[in-house]
Amino acid sequence: MGGLKDKYCIVGVGETAYVRGSGRSTRSMGVEAVRAAMADAGLDATDVDGMLCYQVGDSTLSQTIATDLGIRLNFYTDTYGGGSSTETIIGLAMGAIEAGMCSTVAVFRSMNGYSSLRMGGRPAPSGPGPARLVGDALDTTPYGVSSPAQRFQFTFARHMQTYGTTNEQLAAVKVAHAKHASNNPRAYYRKRVTVDDVLDSRWIVKPACHLLDCCIETDNATCVIVTSADRARDLRQRPAYIMSVTGRANKPYQDPLAHYQCDPITRQAGYYGGRIAFRNAGVEPADVQLTGCYDAFTFTPVLLFEGYGFCAEGEGGDYVSGGTIELGGARPSNTSGGQLCEGYTHGMNLVIENVRQLRHQADDSCPGWREGEHTYDHAEGGCRQVRDVELAMNMGWGTPAVSSALIMRR
Amino acid sequence: MAVYKGFDIAADPEHAGYFEAAGRGELVVQRCAECGLLRGQIGAACPFCTCLDWTWEPVAGTGAIYSYQVVARAVNAAFADWVPYPVVLVELDEQRGVPWRGGREDEAVSLRKIANLVARDDPSRPEDEANVAIGLRVRVCFAKLGDGLALPQFRLADEPPEHDPWRAAERNR
Repeated sequence: MGGLKDKYCIVGVGETAYVRGSGRSTRSMGVEAVRAAMADAGLDATDVDGMLCYQVGDSTLSQTIATDLGIRLNFYTDTYGGGSSTETIIGLAMGAIEAGMCSTVAVFRSMNGYSSLRMGGRPAPSGPGPARLVGDALDTTPYGVSSPAQRFQFTFARHMQTYGTTNEQLAAVKVAHAKHASNNPRAYYRKRVTVDDVLDSRWIVKPACHLLDCCIETDNATCVIVTSADRARDLRQRPAYIMSVTGRANKPYQDPLAHYQCDPITRQAGYYGGRIAFRNAGVEPADVQLTGCYDAFTFTPVLLFEGYGFCAEGEGGDYVSGGTIELGGARPSNTSGGQLCEGYTHGMNLVIENVRQLRHQADDSCPGWREGEHTYDHAEGGCRQVRDVELAMNMGWGTPAVSSALIMRR
Repeated sequence: MAVYKGFDIAADPEHAGYFEAAGRGELVVQRCAECGLLRGQIGAACPFCTCLDWTWEPVAGTGAIYSYQVVARAVNAAFADWVPYPVVLVELDEQRGVPWRGGREDEAVSLRKIANLVARDDPSRPEDEANVAIGLRVRVCFAKLGDGLALPQFRLADEPPEHDPWRAAERNR
């Protein structure tokens, strides 16, 4: 069974500002992002009849967002999840349209990731007395393992031991993404950093995560709109054609931390999902000109590049530190600054950036960016458009054992 | 109620026997009633054969550190007086490296437990972070919880390392 190559597109993207301390509800931010994406696509409330979101109990449901905007839905559902969800529910949107349930789907994520629910924090007390632990939490929380940095760290450390991956190589990821963010007026952190800045920042979890190895936490909402290629022809923007998509491909042992039972623990689930993504798109890693990697930590792109075959297993440290991933390099990655610098959205901002790049309309400081006119001078405060980019890939991360992917073309 | 660092432990049918055995000074793993294989993660079915029945089986409680981390910043306030504290992924000595589905993709399953590396003489305190390394031999010990339950932990064993120990070079301690 093949995919639905080039039959569906992303036709609109939108977001709120990336801030800390929004002082707003996820409802307020969610409607703003969906409305912005509709406006970007040239769609009004009567054109959108499907809605999907993902959340971890920290957001507003689709039915409320749709009602506020006067959208009458023929299809909606709200899924549970964080990282790796964006690509997954873009695929579900395609399936819903293919099944005839609806025609145009707004896919959104709204979260106060800084001022409300923070990842890995102490669970909210359910009542008086000690927090009751059940299931997976019994294997981890009593040992002081709850945050993502803690839950992923055994993979990172074993990779360093097995392959000699260094903190300097990891820091190169932050350096590259910060370079890109310096050319993104929307980014929360726009200051460039050095390898030393990363290595001198305080430890969060050793041996792989200094403070600057970790993504930022921000409050924001993001939205992409998916419709058929037929419908896309009449709309305002050049479509980003979806060549293939995968949703939460797993390792043999998956969640929550059972994957540590199964070697190689240094392998990312993209090893499995990539086969589907590349087969259905009919392309190979070498054809991809631009990537967007889920950068929860500087280490996650290393493992995604290996898993999806952009380099051999164990060579991710060299891949990220050799200039390839920087603007001006052979295959730039996370050109918005990603979650290490632009904002924390559980991955959707990385897809939005690739859509804008494929339009050749990265909204940088080039006066003519709306018309696709760029200087391609990637100096600080300048251009972040990748020249002549035609093919882009997003690689999502849920855990070392969970990954999603999205390959799009101009 | 068995409370550890402010958490109510053993509120789960799959885990109850695990903490009860620890209270008796035993580390146990599940043995499948059908295929007989052990599993290191606690679950409700056998990932090798799907059988739903199991028995708890004591293991030696010895193994080696397969990976580690040192938490430098406590996310949970209960660990504020522990930082920096080591957490270890321990590979137990039993049933190492069983090929997954015939080993078609070089995948292999071992019995691994997550725990703190605690002080040799006090399971209520973390081991010095400088003493954790991949390849070091460890032995189970138990932190008492009350109600006859205990939490398995691991401490360094008085044995030579399994291979050259590895810990990350740190420029910034």
